[in-house]
This record gives sequence, structure tokens and C-alpha cells, in this order.
Amino acid sequence: MAARRAVALVALLALAAAAPARASNDEGDALYALRQRLKDPNGVLQSWDPTLVNPCTWFHVTCNQASRVERLDLGNSNISGSLGPELGRLVNLKYLELYRNNFDGEIPKELGKLKNLISLDLYANKLTGSIPKSLSKLSSLRFMRLNNNKLTGSIPRELAKLSNLKVIDLSNNDLCGTIPVDGPFSTFPLRSANTALLFSFENNSRLNGPELQGLVAYDSGC
Amino acid sequence: MAFKQNRSPLRVLADLSLFLCILLAPVCSATPATAPATLLQVKSGLTDPEGVLSGWSPETDVCSWHGITCLPGEVGIVTGLNLSGYGLSGVIPPAIGELISIESIDLSSNSLTGPIPAELGMLENLRTLLLFSNSLTGTVPPELGLLKNLEVLRIGDNRLHGEIPPHLGNCTELETLGLAYCELNGTIPAELGNLRRLQRLALDNNTLTGGIPDQLTGCASLRVLSVSDNMLQGNLPSFIGSFSNLQSLNLANNQFSGGIPAEIGNLSSLTYLSMLGNSLTGAIPEELNRLGQLQILDLSMNNISGKLSISTAQLKNLKYLVLSDNLLDGEIPQDLCAGDSSSLENLFLSGNNLGGGIEPLLNCSALQSIDVSNNSFTGAIPPSIDRLSGLINLGLHNNSFTDVLPPQIGNLSNLEILSLFHNGLTGEIPREIGRLQKLKLLFLYENQMSGAIPDELTNCTSLEQVDFFGNHFHGPIPERFGNLKNLAVLQLRQNDLSGPIPESLGECRSLQALALADNRLTGTLPESFGQLAELSVVTLYNNSFEGPLPESLFQLKNLTVINFSHNRFSGSLIPLLGSSSLTVLALTNNSFSGVIPAAVARSRNMVRLQLGGNRLAGAIPAELGNLTSLNMLDLSFNNLSGDIPAELSSCVQLTHLKLDGNNLTGSVPSWLGELRSLGELDLSSNTLTGGIPADLGNCSGLLKLSLGDNHLSGSIPPEIGRLTSLNVLNLNKNSLTGAIPPALRQCNKLYELRLSENALEGPIPPELGQLSELQVILDLSRNRLSGEIPASLGDLVKLERLNLSSNRLDGEIPSSLRQLTSLHLLNLSDNLLSGEVPAGLSSSFPAASFTGNDELCGDPLPQCSPSSTRRLPRTEVAVIVAGIAVVSAAVCVALMYTMLRVWSNWRAVSVSSSDGEESAHGGRDNKWGAAGAGDGKYWKVGSPVSSRAAEEKHSSGSETSVLHGKLTEASGAAKS
Repeated sequence: MAARRAVALVALLALAAAAPARASNDEGDALYALRQRLKDPNGVLQSWDPTLVNPCTWFHVTCNQASRVERLDLGNSNISGSLGPELGRLVNLKYLELYRNNFDGEIPKELGKLKNLISLDLYANKLTGSIPKSLSKLSSLRFMRLNNNKLTGSIPRELAKLSNLKVIDLSNNDLCGTIPVDGPFSTFPLRSANTALLFSFENNSRLNGPELQGLVAYDSGC
Repeated sequence: MAFKQNRSPLRVLADLSLFLCILLAPVCSATPATAPATLLQVKSGLTDPEGVLSGWSPETDVCSWHGITCLPGEVGIVTGLNLSGYGLSGVIPPAIGELISIESIDLSSNSLTGPIPAELGMLENLRTLLLFSNSLTGTVPPELGLLKNLEVLRIGDNRLHGEIPPHLGNCTELETLGLAYCELNGTIPAELGNLRRLQRLALDNNTLTGGIPDQLTGCASLRVLSVSDNMLQGNLPSFIGSFSNLQSLNLANNQFSGGIPAEIGNLSSLTYLSMLGNSLTGAIPEELNRLGQLQILDLSMNNISGKLSISTAQLKNLKYLVLSDNLLDGEIPQDLCAGDSSSLENLFLSGNNLGGGIEPLLNCSALQSIDVSNNSFTGAIPPSIDRLSGLINLGLHNNSFTDVLPPQIGNLSNLEILSLFHNGLTGEIPREIGRLQKLKLLFLYENQMSGAIPDELTNCTSLEQVDFFGNHFHGPIPERFGNLKNLAVLQLRQNDLSGPIPESLGECRSLQALALADNRLTGTLPESFGQLAELSVVTLYNNSFEGPLPESLFQLKNLTVINFSHNRFSGSLIPLLGSSSLTVLALTNNSFSGVIPAAVARSRNMVRLQLGGNRLAGAIPAELGNLTSLNMLDLSFNNLSGDIPAELSSCVQLTHLKLDGNNLTGSVPSWLGELRSLGELDLSSNTLTGGIPADLGNCSGLLKLSLGDNHLSGSIPPEIGRLTSLNVLNLNKNSLTGAIPPALRQCNKLYELRLSENALEGPIPPELGQLSELQVILDLSRNRLSGEIPASLGDLVKLERLNLSSNRLDGEIPSSLRQLTSLHLLNLSDNLLSGEVPAGLSSSFPAASFTGNDELCGDPLPQCSPSSTRRLPRTEVAVIVAGIAVVSAAVCVALMYTMLRVWSNWRAVSVSSSDGEESAHGGRDNKWGAAGAGDGKYWKVGSPVSSRAAEEKHSSGSETSVLHGKLTEASGAAKS
């Protein structure tokens, strides 16, 4: 019996040697890291095999011609758990469709690294915390739907930099302060005559309407 | 078996005799004559494979029997029974309780089964009872508590269950109590605290719960306390520090929480301390530095935080310091090994938040193993690392080390493991590495190293595993790699290596895994590859290898994974089919030709077979139906012909079936509906005929269904609506007829729906407006759809592209389409739409989105005539152009028949002349096909992506520049 005492220690000794030649692609690793933090009662992530050369044959993952991840479609999948910084490593991502699930926790600020992102659909989840300022770096973003979550805090002024933004839906959250009036926000009120744009902020009881520059602090009521 | 039947009466008898013995102890012990008979009874219960009991016979003196000890000088008084380690099986008969004079029983390390007989409790002279390492079952008999003289009780490593009987607390002479490696549960009985003479208590590897009872403080003689691998919990009691004789304390792998009691620093005799695998928090108490005798300290896998406050200046005997997987931060203290007296041989700090450099370790001159992986260490690997001349293992991986690998590394002549992966190392591999004759493992992967792989590396003949993945090494693979006869793993993936694979690589006869993928390697595979008999995994994808494969490859019978995708290999597949153990055969995008050999199907465990993008011809072999484990079958983009073989219906595990881009004929098989795991089914771009089988509706997990570009006919079965997981449905370019089934509304996860270029008729079902996740495209163009555009399409708020062109849609454009806030491509051209383009749409989309609808007017089309009525513009125009003055309604009616005949004859002329000013008219044939030519025309006005996307499509097209200008203008207008 006494001889077995050292077993745990021996296992540690082997650690340096145990690390196997790691799988290839960072995008696959990032997605697998995401999977690790999620609960997936319906098994929609079952096909996510980290030993494959790339994630392009994983279901709900779509790659471009160069085998880089372009779409992640996990809408309506009964998934819970939090989003992690690893999503920021999917630098070729254009569509992040995570709507209608039970994601909780905060929106990772690392999403700001997704320079190619066109559509950020996180609506109808249980996300909390504030909208990260880093989202203002999503220079390709056209659609930002964060509605029906539990987001708090003010709408970052920096989002006014998103010149391609066509749709921003922040309704049904618990945001506060005022709505920016610069950049794409200049087409406020909610639905402009030019129907091309949808900017919705409804049902945020602490949101105070458009910012009156110089008169009301943008974070008033926060 | 007979024994079992007699058990109960015997038990009563035994209990009785036990009682009698207690009363009449001197008398009982004076009956030695019974011992041989009892021992023979014991023997009869045992199976004795080595025959060690063969000498046990009534004819000989019991004291001469093997394993028997007698009282010296006396006749036949048996005091010892030692049958340890003879492979004995069977049960311990209760009769053993009659060996009343016995002092020591050792039956350890056999294969005994059945329970520990309670009758052992009668052996009041017993001092040593060793039954450990058997397969005994049942509970620990409480009767053992009657053994007042027992000093050593070791019955662990059995299958005992139940609780530890508190009665053991009565064995007050106990010095050693071993109950480890059983299935005991319950708590540690407080009564054990009565055992004042107890020196060794081993309860490891059970399922004990609760805490360490306070009463245990009574065991003042304890030298070894070992309770690892249980489910003990609560705070560690500070009284542990009062066991002044304690030499070994093992609390590993329990659920202890709270801090480490500083009192442990009082255990001045302690040589071994392990608390690994608990939930301990707080800092490492400074007091631990007082443990001058300590040789092994393991606090790994806890939540210990704070600084690394250990100094071997005081811990002079410390050889192992294991603090991995905690929350330690700060830097390695300068005084970790102050002075030259450090005994520290093994330092494991991996998985903390430690930072700074590793220079302080250079004073730990006795170090043999360093593992500081998975931290945040920075700086260079110090060149003076060669001061640690005894170093065998060096693990610095997963940190932020920078700079070059110093040449002095070559002086570490004992080095066996060098693991530096996932850092920021730069520069070349020093040539001095070739001096590491003992080096077995060299992991440099995921760094920024560059230069050529030095030839000297091939002098490291002990090398077993080499992994340089994800660096920038360039140049050739060293010619003499074949020197590495022990090499089992060679991973050079994702570098900039060029040139051919050296012929000598075939000499690496131990090679099991070879990964050269993602480089710029060229040439053909050397013939010598056929000698790599151990080779199991070979991945060469994304290189520029070419030519036919050497036939010698067929000798590689152990291959399990082959990935040669994205090269220019040609010729036959047969050389790859020598193994019948393949699980992955991936050859996508090469130039392999010939047929798919039926031999592929010999590997019955094949999971992925990817042969897409080659020049394979002939039929799909029916034998593939034997591959019942197959997940992925990709034969797309070859020249395969014939039918889809019915045998494939046996591949019930298929998740991906891609046969697109071939010349397959016949029908879409209805058995596809039995492949319930199918997620992707792509049969597009073949010449399949017949209808779409309704059974496809059974593939309930299907995410992508693509049958486009075939010759399919008949109607779309409403059963497709049962594919409720479907994301992509592509049925375009077929000859489908009938109506679009309203049941498609159930496919409410669709983000892409393409039904264009068919002969679909009837109205667009308003139910399509319920496909609320439609996003990429809704393409119904080039059909015979009629009726009005359903207003419900305005509910598709995520839709980015809508193409309804070239149908027979009439009526007005519903103003609800203005709600399509995400839309940036709209094509309603070439229909029979009428009325005014709704405001909003008119300012958002160019004229090309609306042209070819004769009765559609208003911005961006020509102005609606103020006098015209929306219902009759065609008649109106006809009247005007013909120059006939209409005076009365009666004349009108009378002339109608003639007029219409005239009108229908010159309608074409009229339309073309009225559209003459539209310059983009000529592109009508290819406005919005899958090919995408001319897409830019229908981009939303003012959309910044519109011009960009158009540029991507036609970087130099004149149409683009025209469009560009138009869009800019229009967008200016929209803003003003």
C-alpha cells in the first residue's frame, strides 16, 4: 500500500512528456474551447471533433474557400453557458448567429476583434453586463441584434463609429442613459423614413431617448 | 460450498467458544493438539496452485509445515502462519479461529475471496493480522475489536465495504492499521482516537466522508497518516500540527477546503507532505519553510493563491516541490535556492499565474526536472541554463518566453525532454542541439522560430518525438533524417519547408506518425516509404507533392489515417490500400484517376472517406456499403457515373454524404430517408432524374439539403417541411413543377432557400413569411410563379437578398417590403408587377431591381403618368401609340378585339423603345444566377457594401464603374 503513495507524483512527473503534438488550427481550437464551456442538451455540438484538420466539416460551422470559419449558426439550439474570449479568435467570421438560446454571462469584449463580422445576432438570450465598447471596432458590421437580453449600462458612444451599421436592435434590455445621435445613429427616430435602417431601443425602462448634446450627460439615469 | 451451509451453526459455536475462551483462556491456549487438524481444515478450503501446502499432512510435525512457526521449545504450539504471495485462492475458513495460540497470520497478496471470518476475533494472542491484497468481500468484522493484543492490522486492498467498525478503537495495542484501497464508506470513527500507540494509519482510496475527527488527536504516536483519495471534506484541523512524530502526511485527492494550517510547520519530523487535489485556498504558510526534514512537498491542484513563499535555504532536504495547478502569482523568489545547499531535484509549478523570468532557478544546482509550463513567464531562456548540468526534463511550454534558444542548451548533456512549445521564441535552432545525445523529446511547436532545420539535429539519435508545428522553418528537411532510428513522431506541419521528402526518411523504421502538412514540399514520395512498417498516421495535406504514389506504400499494413488532400498526386489509389485498418482516407483535391478500388472497403472501420476533387471515374463501388461506421463520404467533383448504389443504405452512420459535381444518373434514392444521422446531403450538379423522394423528410437532423442542378422533376414533396433543423435548402436548376408547398414554413431554421430555375407555378405561399431566420437569400427566380407578392414577405426582417425575378407575379409591390430592414439586394425584375414602386424601396434600390415590369412606374423607374389609372395602363398606352382617338365607351368596346390583336403584334417594339434609355437592359439573361454575375445591379442604394461587392465581382467591368457612379449619386440623393 505504501508503495502506491507516490502514484500521483509520478503522474505529475510525466506531465512534460504527456503533452501531445497539438491539433492544428486555431479556429477549431477556439470553437472547441467554446464548446467546453457550453451545455448542449440537444447535442447540436456533437459533431465538433477537435481531432479533425479543421472545423469545416463540423455541423453549424461554415467555412469559406480557404477553409476559414465564416459562419457560426447555433440559433434556436437550447444551448446554455457563457460566451468566452475564444470567439475573438475566429477572425474570418462574418455571421455569428447565436440567437434564441440560454447564453448567459457577458458579451466578451474580444468580439471586437472580428473585423469581418457582418452580423452579430445574440438576441433572445440571457446575456448580462454592458455592451462592450470594443464592438465599435467591428468595422464591417451591418446587423447588430442584441435585443431581448438582460444587458445593462449605457450604449457606448463609440458605436457611432460603425458606419456600415444598418440594423441595431437593443430593445427589451435594461439599458440606461441616452441614445447616441452621431454616425449611423443620426437617422433616429426609431424607424427612419428611409426604411433601410432599423434602430430599435424599445423597452429599456431606464433609457432616456436621444442624447441632447451638451444638455444631458449620455449616461444620465445609469 | 459445504462450508457455507454449515456457517450459521458454526458461527454460534464459535461465538460460544469465544465466550468460553475469554473465561478459560489458560485452558484454551493449552490445547495445541487441535492445531494440525484446524490447519488441515484451512488447507482444504484453499486452492494452492504452487503446491506450497503439499507438505501439510497429518503424518508430519505441524511445526515443519511450510509457512508454520511454532513456539520455540514447545511441541506443536503454532504461533505463526505465513502464506503470503503464493497465489492461493478460496475462502478463509472460520475454523481459523481455533488456532488459539497463534500470534501472527499473514495471508496477504493472494487471491482469497469471501469474507474475513468473524472468528478471527477469538484469537486473543494475535499480534499481527495481514490479509491485504486479496479479493476479500463483506464488511470489516467488528469482532476484530476483541483482539486486545493486536499490533498490526493490515487488511486493505480488498473489496471490503461498509463502515470502519468503531470497535477497532478497542485494539489499544495497535501500531499499524491499514484499511486502504477498499470500498469503505461512512466517516472515520472517533474511537480510533483511543489508539494511543498507533503509528501508521492508512485509509487511502475508499469513499470515506466527513472530516478528520477531533478525537484523532489522541493518536499521539502517529508517524504516518494517509487518507488520500476519499471524499473527506471540511477544514484541515490545526491539531494535525500536534502529531510531533509525524513523518508522512497524505491528504491528497479529497475535498478539504479552507487554508493550510500554519501549525503544520511544527511537524519537525515530516518528510512527506501531500495535499494535492483538494480545494484548499489561501496562501502557502511561511511556517512550511520550517520543515527541515521535508523531502517531498505536493500542494498541487488546489486553489492556493499568493506568492511562491518557499525557500530551500531552510528546506534543505526538499527534493520534490510540486505546486502545479494553483492560483499562485508573482515571480519565482530569488531565494528559492539561496546558497549552494539546495537538494531540490524536481520543481513543478505548471498551471499557475506566475510571471517574470526563470533566472532564480539557476541557483537550484541539483535540479533534474523543471516544469513551469502554463504560466505567464517572460524573458529569454537564460544562456547560463547550462549551469543546471543535471537537468533531464525541461518544460517551459505555454508561456511567453521570447528571444532565441541559446546555444548553451547543447551543454545540458543529460537532457531527455525539451518542451518549449507555445511561446514567442524566435531565431534558429542552434546547431549545438546536435550534442544532446540523450534527447528523446523535442517540442518547439507554436513559436516564431525560423531558419533551416540544422543538419546537426540528425545527431540526436535518441530522439523519439519531434514537433516543430507552427513555426517559420524553411529550407529542406535534412537529408540525414534517417539517422533518427528511434523516431516515432515527426511533426513539421505548418512551416515553410520546401524541397522533397529525403529518401533516408524511410530508414526511420520506428516512425508511427508523420505530419508534414501545410508546407511547400514538392516532389514525389520516395520509394523508401514502403519500409515504414510502423507508420500509422501520415498527413501531407496542403503541399505540392505530385506524381503517382510508389507501389511500395502498399506494404504499410498499419496505416490508420491518411490525409494527402490538396496536393497534385496522380495515378491510382491502390498503393494506399494495403492496410485494412484505415479510419480516415482523405485525398481531396488531387489528380488521382482510375476507378475507386473496391479494396477501399476492406477497412471496415473507416470513418471518413474523402475523395472529392479528383479525376476518379467509373461507378461508385457497391462495396462501400460495407463501411458501416462511415460518417463522411465525400466523392464530390469527380467523373463518377452510374447510379447511386443501393448498398450505401447500409452506411447508417453517415453524417455527410457529398456526391455533387459528378455524372451520376438514376434517381435520388428513397432509402436516403433511412440515414437518420445525415446532416449534409449534397447531390447537386449531377444528371439525376425522377422526383424528390418524400422519404427525405425522415432525415430529421438534416441541416443542408442540396439537390440543385440536376434533371429532377415532379413537385417538391410537402414532407420536406418535416426537416425542421434545415438551414440550407437548394433545389435550383431542375425541372420541378407544381406549387411551392406551404409546409416549408415548418423549416423555420432556414437561412438560405433557393428554388430558382425550375418550372414551379402557382402563388408564392404567404407562409414563407414565417421563415423568420431567412438571411442569406430567398431565391424563387426563373419559375412560373404567379399571383401577388405576399405581404408577409415583409416579415423576413433578417433577409439580406430577395430574388423573385423572371416569374409571372402581378399586382402591386406590397409596401410591407419596406420592413425588410436587412435587405441589400432586391430583384423583382421581369414580372408582371404594376403600380407605383413603394416609397422607401424606391429610394433604396436601383431601377434594375424593378425593370421588366411593364406596368410598374415611379422612382427609380420613369414617373407614373398622372392621368393613367393603375388598372389599365397597357390599354391606355396602346390607344395612344396607335393614334386612335377614343371618343366613346361604346367605340372602345367595339374596337377592343381588333386593337388587342394589333397591340399584341407590336408590343415588343413598343416595350423596347420605351425601355431604350435603360442602359443595363442587355444583361437580363444573367442577372442574378448562382454564378453571381451582375449582382451589383440589385444592391441597395447607398449601401457601402454595394460598391465593394460589385468590385469584388467585376474588378474591371465597365458596368461596375457605371453602377458605382449611379449608386454614389443615388445615395447622396437619399441622404438629402
